[in-house]
Amino acid sequence: MTVLGEFALWIALPVAIYGMFLGFFGGKTQRGDMVLSAERSIYAVTFLLLLAAIGVIVAFMGDKFQYWYVASYSNRDLETFYKFAGLWAGQRGSLLFWALLLSFFSTITVFTNRNKNREFMPYVVGVLQGIFTFFLVVLLFAKVNPFEKLAFMPADGQGLNPQLQNYWMTIHPPMLYLGFTSFTIPFAFAIAALLNGRLDTRWIVLTRRWVLLSWFFLSVGILLGMRWAYEELGWGGYWFWDPAENASLLPWLTATALLHSIQIQENRGMLKVWNMSLVAMTFLLTIFATFLTRSGLIESVHAFAEQIRIAYIFLAFLGTVTAGVVVLILYRLPQLQSENRIESFLSRESAFLFNNLILIGAAFAVLWGTIFPLIAEGVTGQKISVGPPFFNKVNLPIGLALLALAGIGPVIAWRRASKRNLKKNFMVPVVGSLAVSAALWMVGVRHGLALTTWGIGLFVLIIVAVEFWKGTRARARIESEPLPIAFFHLVSRNRRRWGGYIVHVGIVLIFAGIAGASYNQDVRKHLEPGDTMDVASPWGHTYHLTYEGLSTSIGRGQRNLDWQAIALISVRRGDKSLGNMTTEKRKYTTADQTMTEVSIHTSPEEDLYLILSAVDDMNGVLSNNANAQGIDLQVLVKPLLSWIWWGGLVLVVGSIIALWPSAERRRDLDEEEKSREVAVPAGAA
Amino acid sequence: MKMHGRFMVGLVGVAAVVSYLIWTGVSDTMVYYLTPAELVARVQADPSFRQMGVKVSGQVVPGTYERVEGQLLHRFRVRDLSDESVSFEVEYRDALPDTFTDDSEVVLEGRMDANGVFQATSLLTKCGSRYEAAPEDLKK
Repeated sequence: MTVLGEFALWIALPVAIYGMFLGFFGGKTQRGDMVLSAERSIYAVTFLLLLAAIGVIVAFMGDKFQYWYVASYSNRDLETFYKFAGLWAGQRGSLLFWALLLSFFSTITVFTNRNKNREFMPYVVGVLQGIFTFFLVVLLFAKVNPFEKLAFMPADGQGLNPQLQNYWMTIHPPMLYLGFTSFTIPFAFAIAALLNGRLDTRWIVLTRRWVLLSWFFLSVGILLGMRWAYEELGWGGYWFWDPAENASLLPWLTATALLHSIQIQENRGMLKVWNMSLVAMTFLLTIFATFLTRSGLIESVHAFAEQIRIAYIFLAFLGTVTAGVVVLILYRLPQLQSENRIESFLSRESAFLFNNLILIGAAFAVLWGTIFPLIAEGVTGQKISVGPPFFNKVNLPIGLALLALAGIGPVIAWRRASKRNLKKNFMVPVVGSLAVSAALWMVGVRHGLALTTWGIGLFVLIIVAVEFWKGTRARARIESEPLPIAFFHLVSRNRRRWGGYIVHVGIVLIFAGIAGASYNQDVRKHLEPGDTMDVASPWGHTYHLTYEGLSTSIGRGQRNLDWQAIALISVRRGDKSLGNMTTEKRKYTTADQTMTEVSIHTSPEEDLYLILSAVDDMNGVLSNNANAQGIDLQVLVKPLLSWIWWGGLVLVVGSIIALWPSAERRRDLDEEEKSREVAVPAGAA
Repeated sequence: MKMHGRFMVGLVGVAAVVSYLIWTGVSDTMVYYLTPAELVARVQADPSFRQMGVKVSGQVVPGTYERVEGQLLHRFRVRDLSDESVSFEVEYRDALPDTFTDDSEVVLEGRMDANGVFQATSLLTKCGSRYEAAPEDLKK
């Protein structure tokens, strides 16, 4: 099976090249037979990539350590679940996995469009096959072939890094990859529109849900990564501003900008060049992220040297695509003129435009901070680095401005907001949030930044709540429906709008949770059994912790586990017992160093986070010496932290509502297409 | 046209603010990334260089690691990766990452105090971030 998989990879390359040329040429010459063949080549590539992926999985399951990739990421004792996940555990498998996911999305696209949008499809197929060609060339010729064999057969594999043996970490990369790959579809349609000259909003109408789908996967992928870092890395943080994280944030920022700016094009016929550029930019950033997350290009010059070939191929691809898009946009520039102009500073298009600029500004700042060390070294020869303080400092004001726009955008009028419109929509939210902020100040919330964030967040929440209330009440009155039914109908009649508002609520909750960090507590103490420790929460109550002692378990439990040293701590909050919490040091057979397992007690107002920082005498503990029980314990109190995860959940619900297919929208699409056919005689395109 | 002009001012304003944020962000938070040998040479040439926050990557000298019990203090020596004769004492008062061993390659952030002891405020280990094994490692 594995040999067949490698063979399939080699076959897939010529098929992709064939499909690419046939797609472009068939589109140009309007040859139906060629186009059909090109479309079928997408199915063929999908089948071949599936065979290759199955080949890799079979190699993992069968412990075929003669393959470098399997030997590096698995061992005999690894749990089956993680062996399966080996497909995306490392760079080599990830690249194949990327192509596989893209092939699924491509197949869906080709199949659902087999009888419609025929003027787009040849070029869409050409673009997609071009991207497959690129990934197959990388896989086969850039020394990252997952089927590469070692010159010998190791007795056992290296095993998977224990930090990656975590539920969140297993589903986090596929989510991100789903986000990256699904964005390729809007990109392919945008290029097809540039090539076939159909530059009205059709390509946007066809792909806006793909954009949202991609955004949704990216959001979930990023949140899962944060969750993993919070639970597994053992220092209480969830975001490091490390290059891999930044790389996944960049396309998220530009995709967020795009989700807003396409609404301006749909409603007002403006920003056509900008939207094309944003689509291309986001696509390029997904490729950049795919490359960066698995290559270690930024953090280590050594990794770079090993990967010089793949780096060049990626850079060449990014450069070629950029140049191609620029040329196409310039060529079509006359047809990409705005149909309208911005009439007023105080209008929805203006608010959206600022939202776009600020998002792009944030993306630029993050990109700059990420590659700054490379640039600085190249220019001055001096290695300079910027760390988390840079990103926090720059993104803080940017984030707050965006948060405010999340409230302003939904209610400010298109074209020109009148004084009445402004007063009607903003009076209550502004006064309400100022009043609550003042009240918070009175009860002792004096941290300026946290207060600002919560105040702005509240402003957004009030706006969204008022909008929901107004819409529901109006519908209840007009249709004489009871309020809950009216609410349900309201949302289902315009899922995109109301789903979007719900996403804004999720974003507010996430920001509120992040701002809670202003009140973080961090207490450390050396403890012997029976010692107690008091930790004050900013809410006023106190946690009383009693260290009960250290126990060990050797060679039991999870596979690949060498031993565990478990510190037992009983916790009371005020007079109420919260039971026992345990935090551990673990040693896995496949890793040289020990690992810390933290313990988290979550409540809506805060997380209590215990870290077993150090054990005085590990050898004593392992030989069951009753006197070797001293530990260093670090206790963190993290106010509102769980709001980040709840906000994420709200965001997911909102996105799903916006994504849900509706019969109405399909009808709109078909009608729009019919009216166009009447307006433009066939063959004119 | 008046509207258009005002709008351009707004756009340029946003671009200017973002650039300003990036510029000040970089100049306020950037640190030199040096090797231990470079740091020692810089401090010798100009003692005021001690005030600079720097990032240093080096190798923990095996056998020098000690933990001061009860104080949450870790002490060890770090030497240059290429020039083994250059090394200095490091003090770090925080929980060590799981990947730290007494022969790790580490990246420290902090400053050199008057006694020539490097007071680290952050410590990262280098091999720990490597989720991938080199082919040679497999032959062991």
